[in-house]
Amino acid sequence: MNREHVKYPLYLIVHPFNAYSDLKYERNKRHTLIASLIILFLMIITNVLSNQYSGFLVNLSNPDDMNSLMEVVYIVVPVLFWCLANWSLTTLMDGEGKFVEIFTSTCFALVPMMIINFPWIWLSNVISLQETAFYYFCSSAAYLWSAYLLFVGNMTVHQYSPSKTIGTILLTIVAMGFMAFICLLFFGLIQQMISFVHVIYQEIMLRN
Amino acid sequence: MRISIPKVKMYLLAALCCLLGTNIGVNVAHAEGSASYNYSFWNDTTPAPAAYEATFLLNGAQLGVGPFKNPSDIHVTADKEIYVLDSGNNRIVILDQHFKPVKVVDSFDREGKKDTFNNPQGIFVTDRKELFIADTGNKRVVHLDSNLRMAGVLEAPKSDLLQANFDFQPVRVVVDKAQRIYVMSTGVFDGFMEFNADGAFTSFIGANRVTVDPVELFWKKMSTQAQRSRMVMFTPTEFTNLDMDDEGFIYATSGDYSNNPIKKLNAQGNDILRRTGYLSLVGDIRYSSDIGPSRLIDIDVTDSEMYSVLDSKRGRVFTYSGDGHLMYIFGGLGNQLGQFNTPAAIERVGDDFLVLDKAFGEITVFQTTAYGRMLNEAVRSYYRGDEEKAFDLYQQAINTNANLEFAYSGVGKALLRKGDYKGAMQYFKESYDYANYSKAYLLYRKQVLREYFPAVMTGLIVLAVVLLFFKKLRKRMRRQGGVTIES
Repeated sequence: MNREHVKYPLYLIVHPFNAYSDLKYERNKRHTLIASLIILFLMIITNVLSNQYSGFLVNLSNPDDMNSLMEVVYIVVPVLFWCLANWSLTTLMDGEGKFVEIFTSTCFALVPMMIINFPWIWLSNVISLQETAFYYFCSSAAYLWSAYLLFVGNMTVHQYSPSKTIGTILLTIVAMGFMAFICLLFFGLIQQMISFVHVIYQEIMLRN
Repeated sequence: MRISIPKVKMYLLAALCCLLGTNIGVNVAHAEGSASYNYSFWNDTTPAPAAYEATFLLNGAQLGVGPFKNPSDIHVTADKEIYVLDSGNNRIVILDQHFKPVKVVDSFDREGKKDTFNNPQGIFVTDRKELFIADTGNKRVVHLDSNLRMAGVLEAPKSDLLQANFDFQPVRVVVDKAQRIYVMSTGVFDGFMEFNADGAFTSFIGANRVTVDPVELFWKKMSTQAQRSRMVMFTPTEFTNLDMDDEGFIYATSGDYSNNPIKKLNAQGNDILRRTGYLSLVGDIRYSSDIGPSRLIDIDVTDSEMYSVLDSKRGRVFTYSGDGHLMYIFGGLGNQLGQFNTPAAIERVGDDFLVLDKAFGEITVFQTTAYGRMLNEAVRSYYRGDEEKAFDLYQQAINTNANLEFAYSGVGKALLRKGDYKGAMQYFKESYDYANYSKAYLLYRKQVLREYFPAVMTGLIVLAVVLLFFKKLRKRMRRQGGVTIES
């Protein structure tokens, strides 16, 4: 049973069509949800590790700006945005997927991006500048693979045709932009309100 | 407590002000004033020890030649004679290396008659002590021989390359060893004007490229012919100054911040400046948006490919090594010693700097601190190929200023040459020198592999042989066993 849980994501990344329809129709929802949360967690962990321990030649980020908590945000927020935007759109566009299915399919699509970190965190420490081409090749391949899995997952979960899936994905990206904008607006206004109240409080306190 | 209406208004106003205050990001590059700084690999300002300090001021009255009036250029010869071009008084004041006046030239002998300058803007002195003066008001370049008699004059040239209404307004001039004369003239966008030794105009050299704003291009494409003719034309930016190094390359500055304001031109007019440093060569990297980026108005090249540029907006002098590393920054605008009002020109006298202030008619003399001498010497030693000395000096420089990233690279290169690959890697890492780190790493990896390869390989072979042997043994045992069972 336990072994099967580990095997399933690996089976999914090579047989996405079969595995995603299993995920939608056959498998236990609770187990897949737990598995996808574990994948998300591992993704965060590997990203933090790669930021900290990748080889000098490929680690081009300023160590002063490195913040593990922000790494969590950088991964969780886009995934949630994607799922929310996709869910909001597909409910209007006759998609058959439930929110849980969208979330799990998205998380399972991240598996190649997560797996590629494991060897390359070590390997990037023993390569020269000329050999970094392999590093960049592998990571771009992983990104493309993940994008493909995301596409297949979305298609299977909603039972869409390929062209409709592409359309939905493009619309989802636009919707994510809108959501980001609204969030910024929201937090901007909240910040203004808080500072307003704070200033009034300060003013009253200092007057007396 | 009674709160009157005006008071409520005041509260509101205060609240509004504070709200505004919270939104305006406070990220001014660094404290204004004399605190010395440099930039890091990540384009952050880092504190640095002062490399130069202003020691004294020179002005005309103090020198006993009468006050300078709007002086616009200085030139220092190889034997440290200083020529100050006192434009407002139409004269040249010559000082010796101890800053004592030697001679004042306010007129010259032109075929037996006396002739004078009219608002000259630029001066150049050759190794043979021949003077070239851009006599802007008279629209000519005057060439005086070492006895200060006129040897030639360049006037508005006639050429197919020039427009019919061409206005010759020379402002800066340099002369190379082959007596070719390069003139910078106001209103000329095609680069510097090159004259041959006989004073005949040959060509333009080194025009800046036009940079086109896509938005502006779009509007231009959209508008009609009549509208277009009234729009601003896309023209290349003019140069602001030029200087020549010992090898005859022209170093030039232009006012265009976004398009390589510093250039090193070869004889064909191609830009061959090495830009291998961490920063783009533009003066200040971080600046407040109300003043804007640096405007480079003068350049001075010294030995070992070091060059310094002068920013007129903030009055700072930036010195770069030939590889494009920012070595040190000094100067500023203000009223104290070491600050200027309207800096116009810089020159080096040996390792001392002269900065000419146009409005005040003063020259500020800057002299090196121990740190400045160390850096100058380190860059020189490295340029000469004296790695041992460069290693020591860079090591000292790091001890004085741990933020000086290119110095780590200098130490790393010396260690690499010595064969200490691991140490070199460490230093290259400190200096973010990826290419050299990779080089050192490859050598280190090879070294490690060479060391352990025989042992690892022997181990593997022994293991393989042992395994094979065991397999055979087992087979034989099994066969024997089988035989016993069968029989």
